[in-house]
Amino acid sequence: MTADKTKRKEAEAKAAADTPPKPVSKLLIFVAWLVPGLGHWLLGKRFRAGVFAAIILAAFITGVLLKGELAVPQQNSPLSWFFTFGCLGNGVLYFLRLIWVNGLDGLQSSLFPYGLQGGGDPVSAGFFYGKTFLYTAGLMNLLVVLDVHDIARGDKS
Amino acid sequence: MDHFTLLVWHALLVAVFFAFLWRSDARGRKALFLKTFLIMVVGAVVLGWLMFPFP
Repeated sequence: MTADKTKRKEAEAKAAADTPPKPVSKLLIFVAWLVPGLGHWLLGKRFRAGVFAAIILAAFITGVLLKGELAVPQQNSPLSWFFTFGCLGNGVLYFLRLIWVNGLDGLQSSLFPYGLQGGGDPVSAGFFYGKTFLYTAGLMNLLVVLDVHDIARGDKS
Repeated sequence: MDHFTLLVWHALLVAVFFAFLWRSDARGRKALFLKTFLIMVVGAVVLGWLMFPFP
């Protein structure tokens, strides 16, 4: 039984290796990043799309409610770009939160992309927990984008 | 919300996420969810206790 399973898996892996990968639309990857879950939805994985969207949204909202801070680029701090990249994974949620905190004027500042506020309250007890939730949501969405890429390419079902 | 509730909530979200990301069948998802969730919750509590004697 186990030997049959192993043989079947090997045959599937060989067949997958022999099949050339399908081209992946850049637009699909973009929308998958911008709106959590939309990539899976467009690929017909509706249930998974709903689950991913709900989880990422729940983590993001928890982070905001705990008064966590989104990472934003800071001058003389190259590492802040690294954290910003993680938070940018939230897609449209990241931009909505930045607009909520800074207003549209803040985004049009001459210092852009510097000088933005990430929101949150450092004195709040939930500040660091909130940050953790916000970063986790962003990183999860980046993994979701990679999953969309693999499904669209035909590497995963 | 107290710290433990937040820990459980975070572990729950992450465990469900990885169960759906890495497994495609219901049984595999359930198993991975339980494993990931328990490792995160129990691991964090054990680590917390181990850190207790240190200043």
